[in-house]
Amino acid sequence: MSLAAQAPRFRATVILTLFAMVAAPAALIIYQSFLSAPFFDEAARPSLEAYQFILTDPEFYRALWTTTLYAVGMVVVAVPLGGLLAFLITRTDLKGRRWLEPLVLVPMFLSSIVLAFGYTVAVGPSGFVTIAFRSVFGAAPWSIYTLPGIILIGGLSHVPTVYLYVASAMRRLPSDLEEAARTAGASVWRVSLDVTLPMVLPALVFSAALNLLLGFETFGIPLVLGDPNGILVLTTYIYKVNTIFGAPTYQVMAAVTVFLILITLPLVFIQRRLLRHARRFAAVGGKGARTNLLKLGAAGQVIALSIIGLWLLVSVVLPVGGIILRAFVENWGEGIRLSEQLTLANFQRVFELPSLSRGIVNTILLAAIGGAVAVAFYLVVGLAGHRNHGRTGTLLDYSVLVPRALPGLIVGLAFFWLFLFVPFLVPLRTTLFSLLIAYIIVGLSYGLRIIQATLLQVAPELEESARTAGADTFRTWRDVVIPLVRPGLAGAWAMIMIVFLREYATGVYLMSAGTEVIGSLMVSLLTSGAMDQIAALSFISILLTAVGLTLALRLGAKIHD
Amino acid sequence: MINRRQFVLASAASAGVLGAGLSARAQELPAGYPADYKAMLEKARSEGAVSIYTSTDDVQGRPIVEAFQKAFPGIRVDYNDLGTNGAYNRIISEAAAKQVGSDVVWTSAMDLQMVLVQKGLAEAYKSPEAARLPGWGNFNDTLYGTTVEPVGILYNKAQLASFKLPKTRAELLAFMRDNKDALKGKLATFDPEKSGTGFLFFSNDAKTMPDTFDLVRAFGATEGKTYGSSGAMREKIVSGEHWLAFNIIASYAIEWAAKNPALGYILTSDHTAAFSRVANISKGAPHPNAARVFLDFLLANSGQSALASVGAPSIRTDVTSGLNLTRLTEMAGGNLKPIPITTALLEATEPKNRADFFRRWKEALRG
Repeated sequence: MSLAAQAPRFRATVILTLFAMVAAPAALIIYQSFLSAPFFDEAARPSLEAYQFILTDPEFYRALWTTTLYAVGMVVVAVPLGGLLAFLITRTDLKGRRWLEPLVLVPMFLSSIVLAFGYTVAVGPSGFVTIAFRSVFGAAPWSIYTLPGIILIGGLSHVPTVYLYVASAMRRLPSDLEEAARTAGASVWRVSLDVTLPMVLPALVFSAALNLLLGFETFGIPLVLGDPNGILVLTTYIYKVNTIFGAPTYQVMAAVTVFLILITLPLVFIQRRLLRHARRFAAVGGKGARTNLLKLGAAGQVIALSIIGLWLLVSVVLPVGGIILRAFVENWGEGIRLSEQLTLANFQRVFELPSLSRGIVNTILLAAIGGAVAVAFYLVVGLAGHRNHGRTGTLLDYSVLVPRALPGLIVGLAFFWLFLFVPFLVPLRTTLFSLLIAYIIVGLSYGLRIIQATLLQVAPELEESARTAGADTFRTWRDVVIPLVRPGLAGAWAMIMIVFLREYATGVYLMSAGTEVIGSLMVSLLTSGAMDQIAALSFISILLTAVGLTLALRLGAKIHD
Repeated sequence: MINRRQFVLASAASAGVLGAGLSARAQELPAGYPADYKAMLEKARSEGAVSIYTSTDDVQGRPIVEAFQKAFPGIRVDYNDLGTNGAYNRIISEAAAKQVGSDVVWTSAMDLQMVLVQKGLAEAYKSPEAARLPGWGNFNDTLYGTTVEPVGILYNKAQLASFKLPKTRAELLAFMRDNKDALKGKLATFDPEKSGTGFLFFSNDAKTMPDTFDLVRAFGATEGKTYGSSGAMREKIVSGEHWLAFNIIASYAIEWAAKNPALGYILTSDHTAAFSRVANISKGAPHPNAARVFLDFLLANSGQSALASVGAPSIRTDVTSGLNLTRLTEMAGGNLKPIPITTALLEATEPKNRADFFRRWKEALRG
């Protein structure tokens, strides 16, 4: 067989393998939802009991309603703020915008469970800031354990996601229209609202849809902040349904997941549509259009910097500062002087406990080496889909969407079962490979997007000339495409590393002795309320993320798509 | 939480006692151990490892693991803190996949472990230490109690300085009713909906004490908050956000109060319930002999001492380090009421009983 004929076969093999990896957990969950007992139980028979239970459970409806409010609320908070930040940083002469940009993205890189712990220890009812505020003013007028509090925190932490899409759309806009409006006497704000806003509307709508989706799948923030007041969203309802029954009730967990898929899958499709339109729309301006920055003026500078400063204070300084402080004290509260409480005991204990210190090592291994493996995998998938307009290309597109609709917690549980019951996977179950495979699937759409964006930067002419000169597809990839994207791959690796560092939900059911990871350890420590260790682990997680981020910037990672 | 020196000492002590007693080189086994124990020990050693599925977190489990490894250097301990539901989930899944990974199951979910026994996933084994346990702490030589952990009150001394502290359940009820407004939002308790332990405490109370839902109602009227763990409540009591938490694991409260002078604890003298961390050997355990040696060690004087040193009081009466059954009974005014390990625990797992309990709980919580 000629080498050229192998390319379609290679593409089909890769894409079908990926499809199997994605479809297996999803199919298992759907199958489980229609049974009366765990699928491996002999007593299991086809049944709609699980659906009956949730459809008659008032808690489920409450969780559904709360989730909807949360998702919509998050959009309401994040989209305008993210859009505003993008406008200020890309379209105006804001001072210090060069170094503000990476700072604005920080919340995106932190695990949401770490952020949530950070808020608890900073501005929770007994947080450092709350206590200090109370001692000065007598009372602290906020409460983060309420639904509005959770929504606000969720929204603020998702501002970077909006920023990313809107900023990249804004960068592609020519500035002549804005200039015309300025010349005609419109104020900066008028220009932003009447000229810039309509032009980036597709990007705004897209990021709204994306945030809506993320809102429905959110887990860490409601798990930590909603718990004390019994506020449940769908994902935490899945997690807590066990205690209501007194034993794991997989069929109910699965049925709720199916509901979640029914809600999120349409969102994923809408998003895909929008993305296509957004790209087409933004291209109107064409490349190379000269952009002149809008002048903010002295007052404008002050207002703009204050908005950004306040946002940074609330979204980064408070939670990160809270964690740093809490990690170094054991007792605090009214009447306790913090300076007398400083200690390294929390860290000492973390390093003494084999499971926790192993968790740190595993997290680093999984992020650094696992991240590299994942990039290689995404590259192979990316090549299989690269300029692939056939049926397998379409299958790939849909395979990528499925994991987006599944919460990480459930992907982890499904993989736990797959590794337990699929004979050739059994030896991998108690190794880090089981986590790596689940992580690769959870990170699929994000990772593949980075790789695809890199691949698309290779001009088709280069590939075509290689082909014309007689090279087959593989040779073209090997000698033209891969060498050209190599710098992009290093950046992609750093980004995937950060994604794997902050992951926490996937390992909850999957990890075992020897394969612990920091994020999931924090979830399990939460059940015993061991805040000392949680704070120390959160601190280490922030530290690792900072290292990853520095590396990413050094390697020239493309944070923008 | 734990004094480091304390547990190093405890581990050393226990290693000394049991190590001398059971090591293969030792000539004599402790009294009551069968003659063929040495042969079993040899087999355990050649198995080389023992895998524990537990809900006892690593901080608390560490001393017993260390003590065991000192006593039996040839047997590695794979310690898996999975939480109660996590452990149960993994055990039934692995049993179905015929890949049993646990040798010893050791959790605070007395009810779930009784379900495992009922499902035939536990192996009977008559421990030579069984005779040292109270009758209620041994179910058919299969499921053993390893601790006796009272249920009680933790409070912030400064915040409650001007109040008369309740010493009995009746006084606790009166305390909540009389100070309804002053205590608004200041009380905390375990949440049976979030925590299996919380459910065990309150469902056991509901079964044994007629005033249970009056107590919950009075608590609800103060707009108290519920939590999923004792640790979470400690955090809030230390910081002053809450003043008093009841129905929490009091053996922890005793430890915390010893360490932090701002905290106090109460065991109600008319009735103090207690639960037990229970242990069984898994059916089809990959290391059956090592499993037996570990279970024996959990129940032996030395293992019990290691546990008691970290706030998990001994179920035996002859353990002198930390608290034991006798001492706790005195502290509870003679009215310590441990939850017996019997099939009655299964009632709590019946969906109908649970639904009934939660209905009454929610109704009472509205105040």
